[in-house]
This record gives sequence, C-alpha cells and structure tokens, in this order.
Amino acid sequence: MTSEKIRIILTCGVIIYFVLILYWLKTKALNLKYSLLWILSGIAMGILVIFPDTLIHLSRLMGIMTPMYALLVCAIALIIAILMSITSIVSRQNRKIRTLIQENALLEKRVRELENNSKQI
Amino acid sequence: MKTLIMIPAYNEQNTLESLIREIEQKCPEADYLVINDCSSDDTLSVLEKIGASYVSAPVNLGIGGAVQTGYKYAYENGYDIAIQVDGDGQHDVAYVRDMVKVIESGEADVVIGSRFIEKEGFQSSGARRAGIRFLSGLIWLMSGTRVKDVTSGYRAVNREYITAFAENYPDDYPEPEVIVVSSLSGARIKEIPVIMRERTDGISSINMKKSVYYMIKVSIAIILCRISLGIRTGNKNKK
Repeated sequence: MTSEKIRIILTCGVIIYFVLILYWLKTKALNLKYSLLWILSGIAMGILVIFPDTLIHLSRLMGIMTPMYALLVCAIALIIAILMSITSIVSRQNRKIRTLIQENALLEKRVRELENNSKQI
Repeated sequence: MKTLIMIPAYNEQNTLESLIREIEQKCPEADYLVINDCSSDDTLSVLEKIGASYVSAPVNLGIGGAVQTGYKYAYENGYDIAIQVDGDGQHDVAYVRDMVKVIESGEADVVIGSRFIEKEGFQSSGARRAGIRFLSGLIWLMSGTRVKDVTSGYRAVNREYITAFAENYPDDYPEPEVIVVSSLSGARIKEIPVIMRERTDGISSINMKKSVYYMIKVSIAIILCRISLGIRTGNKNKK
C-alpha cells in the first residue's frame, strides 16, 4: 500500500470518529464535559493525518529517533490521561451515589414512622 | 448522655432478634438502630416483625457506607455517643456500659473493644491474628497509636467523631483505616478488654481469597492516610 492510500483510509477513520462524537453529543449519549479529551485527541489525530511531517518534528522535539515510537508514546500518554479522568469521574459519582443511598435510607425511616403515627391517629 | 447503638447488618436474619432483645435487656437506657444493608435474606421482614428501629438501604452500600449511615443518623438526631456493634452476635452488649463510661469520663474520644487484652474468649485463627498484628504494627508506625485489635468492629465514639464520621468515612474494610484517620486528627483512642463470641451464624465477610486483597488494600490505605495528612498539615503550616 502506498502512503497515499493509508492517508485516505486514516482520514476517513478520523472523519467517522468526529461524526460519531458529534452524533453522540447531539443525542445526549455523551456529555460535552466528558468528551473534551476525546475531541482534543481527535484534533491531534486529524493534524497528524493531514500533516504527517508534524510527527517527524514531534519525534525530534521529544528526542526519539523513530517517529513511530513518538506516536506510540503520545497515544499511550493520551489513553492514560483519559482513563485517569474516567476513574476520577467514577469515584466522584460513587461518592454521590453513596450519599444518595444513605439519605434515602434515613428519609425512608422518617416517612415510615410518620405513616405509622398518622395511622394510629 | 444520649447513646445510640448502631448495628450494621447484612444477611443476619437469625441473629438480629436475639441481639435486639439483649440490647433491650442489658442497656435499656440506650437507643439502637439497625442498618439493613440491602440484605438478600429475610433480615428486613424480621426487623419489621419485631418492630425494630431500623433504616434500610435500597442498594448494597458495603460495611463502610452502612456504618456511616448510622453516624449520619446519630449526627442528625443529636446523639452524644455512638456505639458500633456487629449484627452477627459476636459482640456481647454487656460491654456497652464500660465503653460509655470511658467516653463519659472524657478519657478518650474513641473506644475500641479488644479481644486481645485479656486474651479471653474467641481469638480467631492464627493466620488472622498474625495479619492483625502486622496491621497493628503498621498503624503504630504511621500514627504512633498502639491498638491491638485493629479490626474490631466493636467501638464507641463521642459527639466530635460522630460529626467527623458522618462527614467522612472510609469505604470498604474501614476499621483499621478509621483508627489512623482519627488518631492523626488528634483523637485519644483507648482499648478496653471485651470477650467476643465465635459467630453463631453466617460467615465472615473476609475469606481466604479476599484476605490477600484485604491486607494490601488496608496497608496502602493506612500509608496513604499518613502521606495525605502530611500534605494537609504542611499546607496549614504555610498559612
């Protein structure tokens, strides 16, 4: 395969990626707050596909001989960043859910006792 | 002083009734609250049948979340002393008075019922004791507090720590972590001897497979407590 062909396939891939994200944002399947990192990585992918030379500059900047390795390092760093943000979101939600369950349990007791009292009256 | 006995319960349908009767007999001056942690057995209907005072979580919270629900209740209803008692009948409520006495005298903020002081009653297996000794040493290293029975769920705290725990309480396997957190925040912790029974029913929440995870998780939690507190006090000093 020539590099032209690969670039066409990759461009299509990036376009599909953006269409999917925009579609999900539109149908509210994805929260804009949580999709910023994905959009950012999409832009990075787009730049790399349209201007492949950036990769060579980038690898030189990072002091890595092979551009492929530089790409790999960047991709892994980005994936770790996204995973960490997701873990932090899950933890925060976990805390919120726990508080909700607890308050619900305490409220249920109050309602139950009120109902019992009103029955007696 | 207004005292609340908190009983976290997960699938304890066979032991709860006798435990509640015991509380009503041996410590009538204290209120109690059972926290049904979304049991899958008939715990809830047993509680309803005997007309117990209880709250019921709609989904499973885990022991930490369940106990914290009790602390929130104690906080909202103005209790001065909150006492944790396991729902499986391991803890003899006869010691509640001793614990209350220690808190009332102002001698300690947190009282832990320890089975290793007098070394009487149920002592649990050798491997488990070794694990407890290790955690006890680690806690001493990290906080300077010597507690022998660090996994004991039989404990009493005063109003100050009811407020603190209602706000913040560790998630799963919270017992050793709580000792470090409260000790580092300046709590005076005292152990009093109690005799524990071998559980009459149900199985321990910690089996062989989980115990490895337990040791790792609790050790890391204890060390992290120390580090994060170092950062917090460091920030305070800067201000």
